[in-house]
Amino acid sequence: MPEIGRLAVCLALLFAAYAVVSSILGGVRRRPDVVRSGEHAAFAVAGLVVVAAAILLRALLQHDFTLEYVAAYSSSSLPTQYTVAALWGGQKGSLLFWAFMLSLFTAIVQIQNRDRNRALMPYVTATLMTIAFFFLALLTFVTDPFERLPVAAREGADLNPLLQNYWMMLHPPSLYTGYVSASVPFAFGIAALASGQLGDQWIRSVRRWALFSWSFLTLGNLLGARWAYEVLGWGGYWAWDPVENAAFMPWLVSTAYLHSVMIQEKKDMLRVWNLVLVLLTFALTIFGTFLTRSGVISSVHSFTQSGLGPFFIGFLLFVLVVSGGLLVYRLPDLRTPATIESFFSREAAFLFNNLILVGIAFAVFWGTVFPVLSEWVRGVKITVGPPFFNRVNAPLGLVLLFFTGVGPVIAWRRASPRNLRRAFTAPVLTALAAAAVLGVAGVPPGFAYLTFVLGCFALGTVGQEFWRGVRARQAMLHESAPRALSRLVGKNRRRYGGYVIHVGVVSAFVAIAASTAFRIEVTQPLKRGEEMQVGKFRLRYERITTAEDAHLSRLAAEVSVWRDGRQIATLAPEKRFYKKPQQPTTEVAMRSTLTEDLYVVLGSYDRDSDLATIQAYVNPLVSWLWLGGIFMACGTIITMWPAAAERRATAFALGGARVPAE
Amino acid sequence: MGSALVLVALLLGAPGIAAATATQQELEESLTCQCGCGLTVHSCNHLQCQSGEPMKKEIADRLAAGEDKEKILAAFRGRYGEKILSAPTFHGFNWFAWLTPFAALLLGALGLTRVLHRWTHETPAPVPPVATPVDSALRSRLERELAELDREP
Repeated sequence: MPEIGRLAVCLALLFAAYAVVSSILGGVRRRPDVVRSGEHAAFAVAGLVVVAAAILLRALLQHDFTLEYVAAYSSSSLPTQYTVAALWGGQKGSLLFWAFMLSLFTAIVQIQNRDRNRALMPYVTATLMTIAFFFLALLTFVTDPFERLPVAAREGADLNPLLQNYWMMLHPPSLYTGYVSASVPFAFGIAALASGQLGDQWIRSVRRWALFSWSFLTLGNLLGARWAYEVLGWGGYWAWDPVENAAFMPWLVSTAYLHSVMIQEKKDMLRVWNLVLVLLTFALTIFGTFLTRSGVISSVHSFTQSGLGPFFIGFLLFVLVVSGGLLVYRLPDLRTPATIESFFSREAAFLFNNLILVGIAFAVFWGTVFPVLSEWVRGVKITVGPPFFNRVNAPLGLVLLFFTGVGPVIAWRRASPRNLRRAFTAPVLTALAAAAVLGVAGVPPGFAYLTFVLGCFALGTVGQEFWRGVRARQAMLHESAPRALSRLVGKNRRRYGGYVIHVGVVSAFVAIAASTAFRIEVTQPLKRGEEMQVGKFRLRYERITTAEDAHLSRLAAEVSVWRDGRQIATLAPEKRFYKKPQQPTTEVAMRSTLTEDLYVVLGSYDRDSDLATIQAYVNPLVSWLWLGGIFMACGTIITMWPAAAERRATAFALGGARVPAE
Repeated sequence: MGSALVLVALLLGAPGIAAATATQQELEESLTCQCGCGLTVHSCNHLQCQSGEPMKKEIADRLAAGEDKEKILAAFRGRYGEKILSAPTFHGFNWFAWLTPFAALLLGALGLTRVLHRWTHETPAPVPPVATPVDSALRSRLERELAELDREP
């Protein structure tokens, strides 16, 4: 069976090569039949890669330890859900998973564009299949997931225990989905440049793909943060690790694109800038993969390191040269008359928002690569860790939060003093009231204080927009408030979905500021029955319990939690000792509420003296980070949901009628 | 240049310029754990870490002995090299690490302001006169269809 998997990958490589050549030839020579042939080859690639992925998954589930990959990343005692996660838990599997998703997305793009965008499609197919070719070539010639061991292993080495967590079932696929789907806007951008179809048709065609990619990058980053929070046990969720940074950078640039593209749609400006952002987002996904695989920068994600770095840096250079070359070639055609009437306009606010987002992305990039630069220039190894990123990004984040409030309500074209008063009086008053309340509540002035105040300003603008919209509908159409709200959102999903996303962003900002500035932590060795105080909580170490199964043994400390003389919870932080590989891990115990998380870790345990070292943290408002994620997901769904007219058009098309081909 | 450095240093709360009394936590956060986790000494709680706990104890001992932050950090730096520090120092080539993001942003802001200034002062092309005035029948049809659209579920 694995031989069939290998054959499927090899055939997929050949079909991908054919798809690239025939699509380009068909596009250049205007031969629709040749273009269609390339598209059919792309469908064949999808089918073959699905077969290959299914065979590897089957080998994992059947514990086929004749395969090197199965023996290295699973074991017969690994729970089924983590055996499935082993498909992307190792380098070879994750590359196959990437190719799998890319080929599926390519097939979806082909179906969506069967009768539209025909001038662009040859180059879209060629671009997507070039990327697929790169990954399939790696799988064929460099890192074969179906490699057989000379002698079958009796048992597998198992999946890294840190990856045996339910968030790991979701975090990598989400991030891969975000990364891989960024290929689609990139492919359309390249197609627009190659074909000379530089209007906004390609932008409209990829609007949902760009949002889809952005939303999965958001989800992937947040799920990764949640995994780190639960598994690594250091009380935090973001360590500015190079690989975390690698996932954050494309998110920032993609966010910038989603804002600036609105200016192009409204005013047909910023064609070059939007293309640069789309190309850069994709390049950063490849750069992120390079960082993860190459090991040039030390990272907590060292389990994915390999010798593939040079291949990825080569591919990245190829991407930059080709896309940069095409961009320069088309530069004269991309220039459009640009006019912005005033600095006080939404266009200008979006441009400054873009500047800050790209500026933060650059700061993160710079901090990530600076150790390499330092070693190269001075021959001295240095570390650029959390203090650098926090100090540099905190002021930039505040400016971004300010523009999050300004962007949605400032007028397009030119905001008159009357417009400005009408748009900002209520939000500014909200922010001033928040500043006063926070001052009275004793919140010290600083970054957290400013974040809360600016957050209230941004929420004020969003709240005002909803309030005015609902009131207007009620006045004109005599609707009830809930009906007016649902109609308001339903009739302008993109605008109000965006506002819901902004609420999520503000929520995340507040969570980050509060949990960073006001965290309380206490570490104390306790004997049975002894207590420790953490903020307003009193913790009592009750007893230690042990359990063991074929896969791991557990050591859990039972800790009762008291507040105001009343027991409110019992927590059981654990140490786990995995048998294959022999590795201990920390299992955090948490009592999570909207106001704070009580986060308890069993630091160490001395059996002879029955002394347990308990690390306890009170992390304020961390739940707001995950809540922010939910808001962002809901906002994205609202934004992407097709309008009634689109649904009718889709139903019409599916019913057999075809829009005439271009 | 000097005043710009001081401004950035103040903005970033640079040690040595914005003086503060060092605490155990502050020192632990200024040092990188050497177990390969990439976290600061304060954050690292890896069970097989041979580095974090001894370093925490040494910091506590040195603070108890009355040593100040600079002296304690210098001792660790002398033993492990500059890579022990969790952020670049505010000296020499390392200034590039701190200044470049702000310099890039400043340049970007200047460039953007310049471009916006040009765009806001360009005369827009004259709008051609409307060839056919909208007659009242067309206007009422438009209003009727917009109202129908608004009534759709």
